[in-house]
Formats: sequence, C-alpha cells, structure tokens
Amino acid sequence: MNFRLRLASFFVAALVLVQGVTAVMVYRVTRQALIGEGQRQLDVAVRGFARQLDDLSTRVGESVQVLALDYALRSAIAQHDQATLLSALRNHGRRVGATRMLLVDVDGRVEADTAGRFRTGAAFPFDDLVARAYEQPASAIAAWDGRAFWVVVVPVSAPDLVGFIAAAIPVDDRLLTRLQTQSALPKRIELATLSPDGQWRILAQGASEAREDDRVRLAPALAVGRGTRLPAEPVLLEVDGREYVAQAVDLSRSRQSAPVAAVLGYSVDAALQPYRAVGAAWAALLGLGLLAGLFGAWFIARSVSRPVEALADAARRIAAGDDTVPPMRERRDEIGQLAGAFSHMVHALQEREARIRHQAGHDLVTGLPNRMAAEAALQHALEVDASARAALLMIGLARLPEIINTMGHVVSDRLMRDAAARLAPIAGEGFIARATDDEFSVFLPSATRSEAVRMALRFVDALSEPYREAEFTLDLAPAVGIALSPMHGAEASALLRRAEVALIGAIGSEEPVAVYDAATDPHRPERLSLMGDLRSALEKNEGESGLELVYQPKLHIPSGRIDGAEGLLRWRHPVAGPLAPEAFIALAEETGNIRRLTRWVLGAGIEQAARWQAMGQDLRIAMNVSARDLDDVDLPRRVAGELAAHGVSPKRIVLEITESAIMGKPDTAIAVLRRLAEQGIELAIDDFGVGQSSFAYLRRLPVRELKIDRTFIAHLADSREDRAIVRSIIDLGHHLGYRVTAEGVEDARALDVLRELGCDHAQGYHVARPLSVDAFLAFAGAHRDTGVEA
Amino acid sequence: MRHLGWGMVVACLLAFPSIAAGATLDVQVTDQNGQPVADAVVTVVPPSPWSGAANARGVAHTIDQKQLTFMPYVEVFRPGDSVVFRNSDRTRHHVYSFSPAKAFEFVVAPGESAAPLVLDKTGVVAVGCNIHDGMISYLYITDAPYYARTDAHGRVTFDALPAGRYDVRVWQPRLPPGRPDLRERALVIAAGEAKTLAFPVTLRPDPRQQFDREHTHY
Repeated sequence: MNFRLRLASFFVAALVLVQGVTAVMVYRVTRQALIGEGQRQLDVAVRGFARQLDDLSTRVGESVQVLALDYALRSAIAQHDQATLLSALRNHGRRVGATRMLLVDVDGRVEADTAGRFRTGAAFPFDDLVARAYEQPASAIAAWDGRAFWVVVVPVSAPDLVGFIAAAIPVDDRLLTRLQTQSALPKRIELATLSPDGQWRILAQGASEAREDDRVRLAPALAVGRGTRLPAEPVLLEVDGREYVAQAVDLSRSRQSAPVAAVLGYSVDAALQPYRAVGAAWAALLGLGLLAGLFGAWFIARSVSRPVEALADAARRIAAGDDTVPPMRERRDEIGQLAGAFSHMVHALQEREARIRHQAGHDLVTGLPNRMAAEAALQHALEVDASARAALLMIGLARLPEIINTMGHVVSDRLMRDAAARLAPIAGEGFIARATDDEFSVFLPSATRSEAVRMALRFVDALSEPYREAEFTLDLAPAVGIALSPMHGAEASALLRRAEVALIGAIGSEEPVAVYDAATDPHRPERLSLMGDLRSALEKNEGESGLELVYQPKLHIPSGRIDGAEGLLRWRHPVAGPLAPEAFIALAEETGNIRRLTRWVLGAGIEQAARWQAMGQDLRIAMNVSARDLDDVDLPRRVAGELAAHGVSPKRIVLEITESAIMGKPDTAIAVLRRLAEQGIELAIDDFGVGQSSFAYLRRLPVRELKIDRTFIAHLADSREDRAIVRSIIDLGHHLGYRVTAEGVEDARALDVLRELGCDHAQGYHVARPLSVDAFLAFAGAHRDTGVEA
Repeated sequence: MRHLGWGMVVACLLAFPSIAAGATLDVQVTDQNGQPVADAVVTVVPPSPWSGAANARGVAHTIDQKQLTFMPYVEVFRPGDSVVFRNSDRTRHHVYSFSPAKAFEFVVAPGESAAPLVLDKTGVVAVGCNIHDGMISYLYITDAPYYARTDAHGRVTFDALPAGRYDVRVWQPRLPPGRPDLRERALVIAAGEAKTLAFPVTLRPDPRQQFDREHTHY
C-alpha cells in the first residue's frame, strides 16, 4: 500500500467514520426524541381522544334527546301505537345515524326494537344507562353483538316520563377515520374489547397510513404480559418487527358492556419516515462528500507523493550510480524543502564521492594515481586492444627503504614528490602512477621495446641527479624494469608483476634498465601449486612419488677410480615432467619444505649406502644439506638414527654444505656441524670460492672436503687466473688437511690441469652425468676395470 | 288557587256537620333530604267501600300559563270539574295530554283562554306544552272525601275528620314512575284526636327546574 493510497484511504475512512458516527448519533437522538415526543403527544392525544369521544357521546345523547322530544313520537309512544312507533324510531334513528332504536319502558323492559331482536317485555341489557337516563341522556360506548356502539338512552316525557329511547349508533372504522381527519390524532386508532376468553379483540380501527399497518393489531400486543389490563401510559412495543408507541384509554362507561378501550399509537418507522428523505439526502451528500474527499485526498496525496516518488526515483538512480539529479519543481512547502535538502545532499554526496574516489585512486604524497588506479587504467587500456603493443615501466628507487629508515617518512615523501615532479614531464603521453612506496610505474601505450628502453633511460637520467635539501644530498639509485605487452602478458597485474621482477633484476645488476625475461623469473605463479605437489610426493612411497636420487660419480684422480657419488635429487612431476632441481629446491627452501625434502634425501641416500655396503661396494655418497637444515638442532640425531636404522657406517656418507649456509646463523650451524662431525660423518663445503666464507669460520668448521665451484673450473684450461685460483684453493685445502674436489669438469684438459695441480677428486660431465643407481654401478664397475686412462 | 281548595275542604266540612267536631290529622311530607315537599296531594279515604262523592256542580279550575309555566303545578279536581287553560304569556302554548284520564291537545293563543274541559274520570292528567318542553302541570282528579295539597312546608292538616279508620295516600308528580302512590292503610283516628303522619318520599329532580336552568342559557 503506497503512501498515496494510505493517505487517501485515511481521509476517506475518517470522513466515513465521522459521517457514520454522526449519522448514527443523529438517528439515535432523533429516534429517541421522536419516541419521547411521541409519547408525550400520545398521552395528550389519548386523553384528548377520550374527551372527544365523551363530548361526542354527550352530543349524540343530546341529539337523541332532541328526537325524543318529537311530539309525534311521544304521541305514538303514549298511545302505544306500535307500528307508528317503530317507523318513527327508525326514521328518527336515521337522523342521528343510529342503526338500532329501542323503546324501553320505565321498568327497563323493551317495548319496541327496530332490529326486532328483543321481544316486547324483555329486559333491556344496559339498565345502568337507563338508571342514569332519569337525570340526563346517558350514553356509553359498548361492545354489542361483536361491534362497537354508542348506546344512548334518553327519557321520553309525554310530558310525564313514559319510557326511554335507546339508540345504538355504530362506532366504526369510518367514524374513527373521520375523527382522525378532524383532529390531529395518531394514525393508529383501535377500539378493542375484552372478549370472554380474555383476549382483546379489535372492534374498529382508524385508517392507517401504511398498508402494512393495517395488519397490525396493537391492542393484543399491548396486553401481552399485562394480563387483561391495557397500559394507560405510553409504551414502546414491537409488533411484526415494527416499532410502535402505543397507549390505551378505558372507554367503558357502562357496566353492562364488556370492557372497551381505545388504543392509540403510531409507528416509529412511519414517524421516522420524513427523516428518511433527510437520511437519503444525507447519504447522497455523504456519497458526494466521499467522492469529493476521495478525489481531494487523491489529488493532495498525489501532490505530496509525486515529488516524494520523484525523490525516491532520483535516490534510486543515484544509488545505481546516476549522478544527474533531476531538478525538483519549485515548491515552497515541506516537500520543496525536502527536495532542496535532497539535491543539496546529492551535490555534497557527489563532491565527497569525487574526493573519496580521487583519494582512492591517487597517492596523497605525489598526487599521482596509485597502484590500484594504475592497474585499472592499465587493464582498461589492455582490454581495449589486447594485441596492441604497450610497455610498462617500473621505476624503482633502490635506496629509498634505507632513506626512510634513516631520514624518516617526511623526507622520503618530499623526495618522492620531487621524483614525481621530475618524471611526470618526461612521461608525456604515458600514464604515470605511484605503484609502491619506492616505485613509479609508467604505462606507455603502443611503445616498442626500444622506445621503452629509451624512455627508461631518460627516466634513469632524470633521477640520477641526487635529491638535495639544505642539509643533505641523497642519491636516488634509480632502476627501471620493463614489461612489454602483449609479449609478457595481457593482464595488468601480470605486466605489473613482471615489470617489478625486471626492476628487481635491474636493481641487482649493473645495468639500470632491465627488460623482463621469463627465463630468469623465479616468481612464476606455478610455483605455489608445485609445493603442494611436492608435499604430496614426499608423503608417497619412493616408487610412486616421482622423486629419486641420481648419482654423479666422483673420480678419484690419482687412482682413476670411482670411489663415490653425489646424490642429486630429481623430481619427475606427474604433469609437468622432470623439473630442474634449482626450481623446486629453492621453492622448498622458501616455503619451509626443505627440511622434509632433506629428510627424504638423507633417507634415500643412506638406504642406498646400506645397499652398497651390503654389496661390498666401497662407495661414499655425498648429500646436500640446505642452510635451513643447519638451523635444525635435531639433524645430527636424525642422521645418526637413519644410519643406525640401516646399519650404515658414518664413513659412507658425506654431507655437503654451501658457504652461505653457514653464514646465516653461524653459531647454530657450527654447533650442528660439530655434532655431525663428532658422529664420524664427513662434511664438505660446496661451491667453494664464490661465497663469502671467511677463513675465520673455515678454521672452526669440522670440514674434511672442499668442493671448488664450477665457475673456476669451466675455463681452467685457458685461464691462467682460474688456474692460479684453483691451485691456491687446492694448496689451501691440502694444507688445512681437506680433500679437494673440482666440480663442473667438462673436458679432458681441465681434468689434466687438475691432475697436474694435485686435485683429489673430479666431478662433472666429463667424468659422467648424474646416473641412476644401476647405471652408476655399471659405470663404476667399468672404471674399476679400466683404471685411469690419463 | 290554593284558597279555592281550602274552600272545597270547608265546603265538605260544612256538608257533614255531625262530624264537625272530629279528629285532626296532620300530614308532613318530606323528601329524601328531609326537605318539606310541596305540591303533594294527600287523600284520606275510608276503607269501606267508597262510592265516591258526586260533584254535580262541576267547578271550573283555571290553569294559568305565565312565564312559560303552568300555574299551579298540581291542581286537584273532583270528577266533573272542568279545567280552563289561560295563556298569560305572549307566546302561544300547545297544551296537550296523552293521559288515559283525559287526552287532549290544543293551541292557546296569547292572552286567551281555552274552552273549559270537563274532567269526568279520576286519575292524573299530565299536561305539557308541545312548544315548551319544560312546561308541565298535573291535574289530579280524585273522588276521595278528604284531600288536600301540601303547602310550601310540606304540610297538610285535616281538621274535622270523623273518628274512624282511613287510608291515607300521598301522591307527588316526582315520585318514581310506575310506582303506586304512597299510602298509610287503616289509620284509626279517635274523635278529637290529633294525629300526625310523616311521609318520607323519594323524589326525582324537578323537571321544571331543569328546563328553567336550560332556559336561562338561551
């Protein structure tokens, strides 16, 4: 139910209610007043009617008296001339409207009866009237033979009293009707008599107004509950579902007659009849009022709800993002004020939204779009034409974290503002944004690789000038990473990430500008799922896991024998196939899975060592231990446990550690290594020569072997410097009591040099690639047989 | 006319000198209210067979009609007496009677008198005027030896009644109709005795007064 309908229906309901209540009240009051007034009037009317009848009675008596004075009649009576008498009686009776005339003698006996019903000498029934007639004409309304009559008895003097004339004048409907028309009597007049059975019976009644009133008999209804007595006061009663006010008056004037009463009454309905017209007019008025009220309410409601609906509609559209606010019609009322406030609010909202949107999309320090905005803009540009060329440049200030730490954010903010101001003019058409705290991104639509690099160099150039303030000068150390679309990705996020990767590459290198190279990207997203696969592989049995150890033979140069192998981990990924160890091992180190991986490697290697031991093969297995494993104080115990479980001598395994592994937490690492050494396990330093190992540490390490990094071996035959380094390392190792192994031996000349330099072991493709267990055994067996060719 | 009656009584007394020193009988008539009743006719009759006294002369009584009234109201007649109706009013009077004793009817012009009517039967003749309803007069025709009409005090006195037994009757026009006259039977009176009889009667209202009352309304 909307507002308009509610308002309209409220108006109408209120109108109907008020009108209805008023109508009911007026009806009730009117009816009550009518009944009250009717009762008062009825009381008066009844008395008046009784008096009227009595007067009439007297007059009838006088009329009859006049007849009785007629000389001819008297002479006929006196002379007992029966025939003349009867005819005279009839004749005179007609004059007064009597339907029956009797002559009664002084003894109360009937002498003549025009109706012929009484025999001569029969007793006249109304003897009390006769007794009264001595004095004056006596008359009474009497029920006689089922009808109402005025029975009038007058004396006849001739001139002395000779008898009485009794006249019976009917009191009938006609008479009552005439009385009604002559005076203001109620419309309902009944003459009733009490019949011997105790019921009031109607003798005559006046004309009623309504046809249905004709059937109504008030007298019997009035007597209900009152025995045979009729109430002499106004009574409200219901007859045949219609209401009447009625009152009775006793008319019995002769004891010889059954009781006769007049009942006067009027119909309340009939009395209300004139008000029906008023009621109808009222109803019509109410209807008109309702209609007018409905229309009025509807119009008023519409004038209220229209603008409200318009406002609601505007609010919906604003909510949906439509900023155009429809102009509200000029109104001076509350709605107008609301509309004004509303549109004011909308404008305020729009301003605030614009501000928030600007803040959401911009960096507060530089005023440039932020990373979100840049990414959105980038995405938008890329979506417009996915195949178009474009370049994303990520400009990083490598020293900024350091600057923040030392100078604080206030300075760094000023610095970034300055940097932005330098970059912005160069960017020109490009979309420049502040991507992170220390990085700007510039998107160059339709830029080729060379254009991008050129632009990048200009940026670097612009930022190479140090940032100056009064007290200090800061070198910004700019670098630029470039990602190209569509080559490096069609997604904004991918481009950003790759540009960042390229930037990191650039920061780490000499060249200040680097273009993204997928091959060197260690951050490809597939790595994450790879770890999950690795974890599940570690949980599986060896055969099914795809993980296996391969063994690269180590050649004992002096003897030409294969006396050991480095166990290298290989993982055949169920989907991707064989994976480069560097990829997943580095990943395992980053994701904290390296210890489990190491455990697996140790398990597999020691198990293999046990097998070889059982076969009587004098082969030592070297296994790599990660820097993180050295944090694990349990490592020595676990290795000891594995060895004990397989009954392998500690002498049969070598654990290789990189230099850098020791540098992380040297104290813990050294403690772990010491304990391993104490268990009789030999330790080797891997990739020796490229790391930052200090001789101080080296001295403290319980190491038995140095493995010279392959970079020194690769050009050994041709490079004097390399040869000098290798010789020094070998000499150093031998002087410290270490064995020395050369890695990455890929040609015979290198091996010759190594032999010449007195290196203990050689490992590399020239010796053999990493081999499976069986191939390794075969290879080792063959070498043992052939011996050293050099 | 009352003196005329007394004259007749005196005449009777004169006719029977032997009993002139007779007994005296007082009759007092009162109505239901104890008021004396005038115009009552009292007759005293010996109980033995009474042949009636003849009145050969035939006295003429005049009933005057004055101011719409018969005067007197009650007149006592002896059989053979005659009555003359005289009209002293300026209106005509239509005198009539339906009484069995004498029925008649005639008009008396103003200032004139009707021809004498001989009343030869005993009885009461009620006389009315057909023009004036209230006019009524009674002619009481009796052959009783002693009779008298009560005076305004309702009294009548018989002075010289011979000793003996008598029936005493009282009649009044306003006695209830159809009733026999009141009578005191076998009243014994000794010579020289003075007896008083009281007759209480119940009377109807005087129709003349009614008429008069009505008359004044015109």
